[in-house]
This record gives sequence, structure tokens and C-alpha cells, in this order.
Amino acid sequence: MPKFETTEKMFYGLMGRPYTDQELEDIFPRAKAELDEHDHENHVIKIELNDTNRPDLWSAMGLARLLKNYDDPAPREYDFFSSKVYTADNHGRELHVGDKAQQVRPFSCGFVATGKVVDEGILLTLIQSQEKLCWNFGRKRRSIAMGIYRNDLIQYPIHYDGADPDKTHFIPLHMEEDLTLRQICEQHPKGKEYGYIIKDKPVYPYLCDDAGEPLSMPPVINSARVGAVKVGDEDLFVEMSGTVLKDVLLCASIMACDMADLGFTIEPIKVVYPYETEFGKEITVPYYFQEPASCTLEQVHKTLGEKITMDEAKVALLRMGVYSVSKGDTVYITCPEYRNDFLHAVDVVEDVMIGYGLENFEPTIPKDFTIGRLSPAEEFGRKVKDIMIGMGFQEMMYNYLGSRREYVDNMHISGDKVIMIANPMSENFEAVRPSIIPSLLESESVSGHATYPHKIFEVGKVAYLEPSDNSGTVTRNNLGFMSADGSVGFNDVNSFVNTLMYFLRADYLLKAPEDDPRFIPGRCANIMVKGRCVGVFGEVHPAVLESWGCGMPAVVCEMDLDSLMELI
Amino acid sequence: MDIDVKNLHPLEVKLLRHVDLGSEITADRIVDELGYKIGQCNQAFSWLSAKGILQETSRKTVVLYELTDLGREQAQNGTPAQRIFDLLSKGEALGLPEIAQQLGLEKSDIGSAYGQLSKSGTCAMNEDNKAYIKDDNLPADVAETAALLRKGLEGPIEETSLSDREKALMARVSKKRGAAGSPYKMTEREEVVYQLTELGAQAKQAVIDANITGEEIGVLTPQIIASGSWKNATFRPYGLDAPVSRLIPGRHNPYGNYIQWVKDKLTSLGFEEFDGPLVENEFWNGDALFMPQFHSARDIHDVYYVKEPRHCREIEEPWLTNIANAHENGGNTGSRGWQYKFDHEFTRRQVLRSQGTVLSAHQLTKAKVPGKYFGVVRCFRFDEVDATHGADFFQTEGIVIGKEANLKDLLGLLKMFATEIAGATDFKYVPGYFPFTEPSIEIHIKHPVLGWFELGGSGIFRPEVTKSLGIDEPVLAWGLGIDRMAMMHLGINDIRDLFTPNIESVRTRRGN
Repeated sequence: MPKFETTEKMFYGLMGRPYTDQELEDIFPRAKAELDEHDHENHVIKIELNDTNRPDLWSAMGLARLLKNYDDPAPREYDFFSSKVYTADNHGRELHVGDKAQQVRPFSCGFVATGKVVDEGILLTLIQSQEKLCWNFGRKRRSIAMGIYRNDLIQYPIHYDGADPDKTHFIPLHMEEDLTLRQICEQHPKGKEYGYIIKDKPVYPYLCDDAGEPLSMPPVINSARVGAVKVGDEDLFVEMSGTVLKDVLLCASIMACDMADLGFTIEPIKVVYPYETEFGKEITVPYYFQEPASCTLEQVHKTLGEKITMDEAKVALLRMGVYSVSKGDTVYITCPEYRNDFLHAVDVVEDVMIGYGLENFEPTIPKDFTIGRLSPAEEFGRKVKDIMIGMGFQEMMYNYLGSRREYVDNMHISGDKVIMIANPMSENFEAVRPSIIPSLLESESVSGHATYPHKIFEVGKVAYLEPSDNSGTVTRNNLGFMSADGSVGFNDVNSFVNTLMYFLRADYLLKAPEDDPRFIPGRCANIMVKGRCVGVFGEVHPAVLESWGCGMPAVVCEMDLDSLMELI
Repeated sequence: MDIDVKNLHPLEVKLLRHVDLGSEITADRIVDELGYKIGQCNQAFSWLSAKGILQETSRKTVVLYELTDLGREQAQNGTPAQRIFDLLSKGEALGLPEIAQQLGLEKSDIGSAYGQLSKSGTCAMNEDNKAYIKDDNLPADVAETAALLRKGLEGPIEETSLSDREKALMARVSKKRGAAGSPYKMTEREEVVYQLTELGAQAKQAVIDANITGEEIGVLTPQIIASGSWKNATFRPYGLDAPVSRLIPGRHNPYGNYIQWVKDKLTSLGFEEFDGPLVENEFWNGDALFMPQFHSARDIHDVYYVKEPRHCREIEEPWLTNIANAHENGGNTGSRGWQYKFDHEFTRRQVLRSQGTVLSAHQLTKAKVPGKYFGVVRCFRFDEVDATHGADFFQTEGIVIGKEANLKDLLGLLKMFATEIAGATDFKYVPGYFPFTEPSIEIHIKHPVLGWFELGGSGIFRPEVTKSLGIDEPVLAWGLGIDRMAMMHLGINDIRDLFTPNIESVRTRRGN
């Protein structure tokens, strides 16, 4: 979940007054936010946002915009947006996209923010917004990257294109050498971090002004001169690049609204593409592209279970920053410029719900009568557990992930049926257990100090490769049990199996297995029910005991309860 | 009198009945007169003293010398020195190895014994390095030692009964520890003298009055029942404060018990249990839940991928087409979708189930309407294992399908879980976010012990999910975090302990 931090000064300034922590905790849920930490000493507030589809809320400006408006609904109308039907004055500023950009990172856009002196708080806030948007929403800059530049140094039009990685060069931010684009990817810290996104492309993204002054190589690094914004600047060019046009435009809109809320004047730039986009070849940015959304009052009633009136619904939406009109039973909303999360009518309904106030819905108990029931496997498992407990066994519960060493090497088996993990976090958890027996022996290996005899069992799942299944694997409910003691032997485990099968009403035969290195040869048996093998038991081979570091003789048994249940 | 004579052990009773006020009571006397073993005698003394019935009047240390096996052998056959003297007295000079061989003794024994004879001038070596008798009188100390050894054949010798000369000799042939190589073992014994106390005299009278003889029945045997001898006997009452021996019973795992309890609770609320395989694919694990394939939670660093086979063979239709359309343009769900190109290969990629909601999605394709379903299922998430993150863990999830199901029902359901399963004293709802539900609600509860925490997440399944999987009715989806309550219930702080392999720790763990 995205988290951001802000100063009390900035946040309370945006909210219009200071708030107590209790007040913050009470109002944050309206934005699906949580007060993560309030550092009273340094006057810093840390906030966590739960809605990954609302990147507009990941800044002090966006969060304050929603919360402040909720109590005093008057959503700000931002006047700098162009749209399908209206184009704002760009004062002659243009950004020209070259046709090679399509080969690497097809979309770029930007706007000018001016008239407000950047202080330290604003600078940190802008850098943080950039990080959150590009990291969380822009998938670590893969789909969205953002740069802020000193507009006073820029000669328009700006040019964005795919450039030759070996012939194009500039001095990157925080460095002094003039490096080619490829060298930047290889040598600059940011190049090492983000260079992989473009490394293998035939051309690299490159942004420069009309005089050839370099601005940046998105999504990696700005230039050292134009790309170095600092405290005291008051004339900024904000640029986004990326792979999905709507996401790029949305991020530009979010930044524009945030900066307008900070007191900047936003001035549009016309972006000229050499190719068709879904919004034409020329897009004046910030650009309002959102489609209208709607829902019926009937759907509100049905989903929320409350007879909210049309007027109440519209007020609720307004508290959420959403203007709406109604026609008959339908409410049509205007999606705010900084949002793009209305995919379905239910998304409108949720805004009505939050705007109406969750505390205003009286809980009711679902009225439908249904019959509760455990799964057959659970029922059967419980029967088995009770018999095992009656025979003096302690029920254990184990992790289902472990190492190849435990599941294969220590068991002296080939391991060709073990499901391995492609991206294990450590070799301790690199395989799914194919059998309960290694779990039981692990217990034995760590419990030498516990009073003997050790009689333990588990009813749990195992999974292994099974080519006939669509997934090539199968998951089974198994029983595994072990008895370890100075005097335990084959006859003991034979008796346990016999007793268990008697009470399960399972007729069975024993058959010597072909070859099972887990057991002492001649002291193990397959359990056959109606001709099918449902389990195995025997005396654990001392070589296996030795691998586990166990010093006590042990007998084990494992049974496939799913098969057994099916057959009896 | 504050002694319950009925609780006296037979050893105490018999001793008490046997002694009188003023008489000296020693272990020797009790062994002699009552036939006690010395151990029984000491037990009786110790118990009776502790009760104030006997009191110690004097104590002295008695030193005793007792023949070892070696000493017994030498007392009967002679000491090595004596035997060498006897052998050489036959006139033939012999080398030490020959002596050892003829007498069947160790060379080391011969060496020290010969040294003794040589020192007293009795023996000497000739030029052939053979020993011969120089003075045919047996040295006095050899003879005295032999006499001392023979004395030991009659039984342990008290040090006080020895003359000074004997004491000096004894010091040479006895050892306190490691005496196996010496003829005598020296032992020290505390000789304690007891007397009956006033209280003891009262106790004795009480025992006599109560007709307690020490012959009462202890263990009831089949023979006693068969013979009927119990009819004329009484049973000795047993003390209630004796230490209790440990039993190791067959038992449920307490965490398993808790989960079983949760399952029973949910079935009692009308839910039917579902379950499924541990290996899933991206389709069911994410796509079917309308999580866009580019969602940040679907990175390689959030789920475990199966190494082989990497992909399942196919995804069931019509679900695949429906879901792919829902992602791309909303399909027939009334949504505009996520508007990207659905990846048909990625969707078949196999993963370990990372959330229980997968099974809710599966259930939709076979659910009855109305229907209530739940599962307590094992999930795997790519995370560093520590005190708060396990390699795999249980998730408790479920759905409610009904024509009229709505937000208020969802709130009611959550409230029911809060009171029935968590025993919450207070709770609150807050809006939440899950890619597959809209609206989404979290319930935070005030637990009587744990205080405020998030009990669960829930919501109404998005139509992109339900319509694509063949359900037109609203579906309430919920998940509960029960592990924190389970850990509190079991009194553990480290989540890894829920699945500990340690037998002793599971054996002794109790639920609260």
C-alpha cells in the first residue's frame, strides 16, 4: 500500500486548521486512509492509503482535497483543462513527439506551473508525489515516469523522440561527466536502477528543447542543468512519459491539480504527435479525457439496501468531490479530472455510500436460510483424528513448504514428483511437501529431549506432480503418523493400521512394495484397498534416521484419505 | 494433637508401636528388632522426625572396614608377599616373571610384594637376577597383615575395636574410594540416636487407640479380592499431597482445535465448507478476481511460481473468455474493463494459492442461490519468514449469495462474526479497498484482550467477477484474520509457533 508523509504545516495548511490525532483517525477512512504515525516531535504525519486505484489521494494535496470537501462540499473547478470539445490557450508552447518514440516509450506530455516560489516543503512534496506516482501507479517507472524542469531555461518547442543511445549525450543530474545515453544507463546510479526498462530498445527516450539543450532521458534521469529544480525556482515545466496514454494524462492531471492547490498557476502545453492517438494527433495538456459514468437509483438501493433519495445521493457524491446531474432514475456523474476509477456503476455506488456515511447504514442479518455443512474430507479427517487420538497420538500441524534437503535428500528418494518453486525466497522454503513423513521426522529430529514414546500424527495436505491433471499436479488430504521409541517395530505400526482400518470399516490387504528406500527392506507394506494402493507403512530405514539426525527407532505410516474415503 | 495418624505409613506405624518414651532408638536396633532394611529404617526416621514424633539426641561418625573381593581372596589364600615367601621357601631361586606365572598374579602385584620382602631383608636377588630367601623368618608385618585380613572374614570391623598397631596396618591396606584394588574398603557411617518426643508418645497412643497396626492393606491385589482377606482388614488411606506422575495423552493440536471451532461456528451460522488444490494458476488466483494482470500485487515478488509445469494446460471455458473480456473492455458485465490486452499465456502460469478468495471464485461457478460458503484454507505468500509472517498460513474466507444480499446484510454478517467468533465488545466499519469488491468494507473490532484491530475485509463482489463466472445475484465476500486471536488463545507471540514441529511444546500447549 502506498504511504506518504507530510508536515503538519503543509497538511493543516491545506485542511484549513490543525486536527487532533483522534480527528484524523475519524476522518481518514473517508479516503480509505490510515494514520500510520504522527511524529509530534518533528511535526511529521505519515499516512497509508489503501486504494491502489486512487493515485490522486497519495499526496497531502489530494487527501486534503477530499477530506476538506467532505465536510464542506464545494469541489474546486480547475479551469486549465482542455477536452474533446474545448482547447485551452497554450501561449504558443508546444511539445513535439518524434516518430521514433513509438519504438521505445510512445507517450509524453507536460504543462507549465508558475507563479509560486518553490520552498523546501513544496520541493519535498513534489519529489514524493513523483515517487509515489511513478513507483506505485507507474509500476516502478515502467509505465509512467515524471520529470520537473526549470522552465525559464527552456526554448520551445520541446522535442521528445527515440534517440541513438551511443551518439546522444548529456551531463546527468548529480554527475559531472558528459555521458552517452547508454553510458548513463550503465554508470549512473539511477541508470543502474531503471536502465533495464529501455536497455534493449533500438533507441532510447530523449527530451530536449528547441536549442538542443538536454532535459532528460526518461524514465531514467534528468540533465544536470535544466533538470535540476531547487528551492527558489518559481517557473517549472512538468513532464510525464509512459506507455499508456490515459495513465500518462491522468498523472499529468493529478500533478496539475496538486500544484494548483499549492498555489501555482497552471499553463497548458500542446503536445503534437506524428501518429494518431486515441485523442488525436494534438493534445493540449492537462487534458480531460474521462468518460461520463452513471448509475440508477435502483442499483443504489439494491446494493446498499437503503432507500436513499436522488437528492441525498447527489449530496453524497458532492461530498466525495463528484458533480452529478439526474435524469429520471439515473444519476450521471462528472468524473473529477484527477480520477479515473469509475469502471462500473458499482464504483459510483461506493462513492454514494462513503458520502452518505457508513455509520448511517443499520446492519441487518442476511435473510436467506441455508444449511451449514462441513466438507466430506473434513468430516472424514475428523473421524480419523479421533481414532488416532484414541490410540494415544498427539496431533501435529506443519508448514507445507520446506527444503529439497528435507523432502528428498533426507528421505533418500529420487524427488521426481516434488513440486519445486521457481522463485523461492530461501532454500528453506523451496518445495511443496509431497508427503507428511518428512514433517514427522523433522519433529523427531528436534524433539530428542521430549519424553518417549513419541506418538504423533497429522491430517493435512500434500501435493505432488501428476501428469494426468490439467495442472500437472495433485493435492491430497493425507494422514501421516509416527511412533518413535527404543522398542518400537513393524508389529506396532501394523497394529495401529489394523485398528484404524477396523474402525473406518475399511477392508484392506498388505502388499510388499517393490522398493522403497525410506523403509527397512522386508519391514514395510503397501496398504491395498480394492486393489488400489492407499498408503504405506513400515520401519524407517536407519539411513533415513541418520540423515535426519534421529537416534531412536521409528515406524511411520502415510495414507491418502481422499482415496480411502472414495473406496470405502 | 495436629498429627493425623491415619496417614502414617506402615513403616512409621510399626516403628512407633515398637518404641517407648525414653528408650534409645538406633538404626541397628530397628533392623535387628523389626527386620527393617537399612533404607526403610532411614525413611521411617526421616518421616517421623519431620513430623516431630522422633527427635535426634546424638550423632557420631562410625568408621567401618569391610573386606573387598580382593581382601576376601587374600584372607583365604594369603597375601602376595606371604605367597612369594612360601614359594621361595621351597629353595629354588626364581625370577619375578616366573613367580608371577607360578602364583597366577599380576606383575605389578609381585613387584610391590617383593619390594616389601626385600626391604625387610627377607629376600634378595642373586647375580642371575633371581630372588632367593635370605632370612627364613616371615617378616612380622606380613604375618600381622594376614591376621588382620582374616579378622575381616567375620564381618565389618569397627575402627574403635582395632589396636594402634592394627590401625597403622589398616591404613596401608584400606581405601575409602576406588577400593577395588585394596583388601579393605573404609566406610563412614553416621550413627544417629533418636528418642520419642512427647508428641510422639501421644501419637503412639493415638495409633494404638485407633487400632492402626501397620498391617493395613496398601495395594489391592487380585489375590486379596479372591481370598477375601480384605474383609477382616482395613485399607491404609493415601496422602493427597504426594507428587503426581506425568501422563502423555493422545490429543488434538490446540491450533487445530481452534480452527475446528471456527469451522463449527461457521457451519452453525449456515455456511457450507469449500476447499481446493494448493497449486493454482494466475487465472483463478488473480484474473478471475478482476485484478489487472499489471497490478502491482501480481509481481514476481508477491507470489510463488511453480517451477514445472510452468503453465496449466487450459483454463475452463466459458470462464476464460468471460474474464478476458471483462478485463479488456468489460465484456457483458456493464464495466468498461481495465482496457488492456489480456495475456492468455500469463493467465495459465501456475502459482501457489496466495489468497483464499481464489476458492470463493471457484465456488461461484458451482454455487447454489441462495448459498453461503466458507473455507479455512492454506495460502502461500512471498514474504520473509519472521515472527509475524509464516511461509504458509490459514485464511478464513467465504461468500454469501442471495437475490437480496446488500451492504446492510454485509454489515450484519460482519457484526455476527465480530460477536460470535471474536467475542468483540465493540466494533466499527470503515471503507476498504480490494480489487474484486465494490463497495469494500473492513471491520475493526475491540477485542476484550487484544484491543482494537482489523478483524476482516469484505465487500460485494464486482459484477466483473460474478457475471463473468455465471452469477447474476449479488455476492457478499468476506475474509477474517483469525490468527491473532488463535495466537492469543494459545498464548504464543511468534506466528511460526503455530506450526512448530517441537513435540514437547505441542504436547504441553493449552488453549485459553
